[in-house]
Amino acid sequence: MKLGYYPGCSLESTAKEYDMSVREVFKALGVELVELEDWNCCGATAAHSVDYLLSLALPARNLAIAGKQNLNIIVPCPECYQREWSASEALAANSELLEKVNELLGNGLQYEGNVEVKHPLDTIINDIGIEKLSQNIVKPLKLKAVPYYGCVIVKPPRKKKFDSPENPVSMDKILAAIGVEVLPYDLKTKCCGGPVMLASEDIMLKLSYELLKKAKAAGAQCVATACPLCHLALDAKQINIEKAYNEKIDMPVLYLTQLVGLAFGIAPKKLGLDKNIVPVEKLLKSL
Amino acid sequence: MEEPIRLTECDPNFIQEVAEAGGKNVQLCFQCGTCSGGCPTAYAMDYTPRQIIGMVNLGMRNEVLKSGTIWVCSSCYTCMTRCPRGVEITKVMAALKSIAIKSGIETKNKKAAAFYKTFVEVAGAYGRLFEPMLFLKFALKAEDSLTGSVARLLKDAPFGLELTKKGKLAFMPSKVKNMQQIKKIYEKAMGGSK
Ligand code: SF4
Ligand code: SF4
Repeated sequence: MKLGYYPGCSLESTAKEYDMSVREVFKALGVELVELEDWNCCGATAAHSVDYLLSLALPARNLAIAGKQNLNIIVPCPECYQREWSASEALAANSELLEKVNELLGNGLQYEGNVEVKHPLDTIINDIGIEKLSQNIVKPLKLKAVPYYGCVIVKPPRKKKFDSPENPVSMDKILAAIGVEVLPYDLKTKCCGGPVMLASEDIMLKLSYELLKKAKAAGAQCVATACPLCHLALDAKQINIEKAYNEKIDMPVLYLTQLVGLAFGIAPKKLGLDKNIVPVEKLLKSL
Repeated sequence: MEEPIRLTECDPNFIQEVAEAGGKNVQLCFQCGTCSGGCPTAYAMDYTPRQIIGMVNLGMRNEVLKSGTIWVCSSCYTCMTRCPRGVEITKVMAALKSIAIKSGIETKNKKAAAFYKTFVEVAGAYGRLFEPMLFLKFALKAEDSLTGSVARLLKDAPFGLELTKKGKLAFMPSKVKNMQQIKKIYEKAMGGSK
C-alpha cells in the first residue's frame, strides 16, 4: 500500500514524536508513506475564523498536489484531517465552490475531486486490519490506559465515517490488540480546550484538568492520544495544570503510535519517547 | 438579555450573511437546547450556543458579533454532531468570528480575535505555521502595552524553553517553496470576500 503523507505543521515541531512514531509504525506495517510535495498549512480552526473561502482553498491546495501525484492521503493530525476531508466533501458537493477554489489555486494546479482523505486510525482498522497488526507484535504491553480521541477525529461525522462520533472504539481495539488493558473512559471525546489554549488559557486548563483527573481516577498508567493539540494540552501543559489546581498529576501522555511502536519492539528513541514532556521512564521500565 | 429586543434594529439579511460566510441551516433551529447542553465551554459564554443561533435568526447582528461566546467556542463540533435539525453550529461560530473580524467590530475578547488573525498572518507568510513567530506576534497583538506583551512572553517562556529543550520548536521556519502561489491564494481569498 502506498499513501500520500500530509504531516502538517505540528508534526514538524511540537508533535515531532508523533511524526516519528507514525513513520516507524507504518513502515513496519508495510505501508509506504510518500510525503506530499511542498504541502502547506491547512489553516486549522483559524482560517475559517478569518475567511471561509481561504479555509477551503488551503486544504484544497494539498488535495490538488496529492491528486497530481495520484495519491490518496493519510493525515495523522485530527485538525488537519478534518480540514482536508471537509474541504474534499464540500468541494465534491458544490461545483460552483470547486470552481471558485480552483480559480484561487491558479493555472498549473487544479483540484479534480479525486483524493481520499484518511486518518491513521481508519487505515489501521479498515485497510490494514487488526490481524496484520497483531502479526507485528513482539512485546505485548502490560499496562492500563485510557483511550482519548478528542474532538475532531470523529466529529462532525463525515459521509464516509469510520467510527462513532459519540462512542468511538477504533483506538480501543488497537490498544487491546497490543495487549493494553483499556479502561472505561467516558470523556474519550470531550474537548481538551486545545484550540483556545493561547487566547483563553483558563478554559484549556480546566477542561484538560478534568480529563487527566478522570484518567487517574480510572487507574490509568497513561493516556493514549492521536492528536498533537490534545497532546500539547495534556502533556506539555500538565505542569501548568498542576500549578493551577495545586495537585500533582504525573500522568504520562503517549501517542497511540508510540505505544504500537513499543509493542512492535521498535526502540523508544526512534519513537521519540525522549521528547514527551511528562517523564515516561517509569512507565517504560514497568513494561 | 435584560434589554427588550427591538425588531426594527434587527438585520433581516444576517442569516444570509452568515450562510455565505460558511454557517448554514440556522433557520432550521427549533430551540431545543441540545447544543448548549453538551457544550464544554458554555460555562464561560455570555450567551449559550442555543441563544446565539436564536439571535442570528432574529437578525441581532450587533449583539451576536459583540458577544464573547463566539471567541470562547473551541470548535469541538459536539453541538453540530448532535443538533437534531442539522444546524451547522460550529461553522456558524467560525463564520461569526470572520464577520466580526472583517467588520472590525469591538469584540469582548480581543485576545482571541488577535490569535486567529495572527495565525493566518504567520501561516500566510511562510505557507506553514512557524510557531515561535506565532507566540511572538500574538504576544504583541494581544496586549495593550509593550509591558503587557513582555509580561506575557515571560510567562510563556518556561513552556517555550521546555519545548525547545526537547527539540520541538524550530529556530528556522519550514517554508513552502512555491510562496508566490501561497501569497496569491491568501490575497485572492481575503480580498475577494471583503
Ligand atoms: S441543537 Fe440545533 S435545533 Fe437545538 S437549539 Fe441547538 S441549533 Fe437549535
Ligand atoms: S463547537 Fe463551540 S459551541 Fe459547539 S459545543 Fe463545541 S465549544 Fe460549544
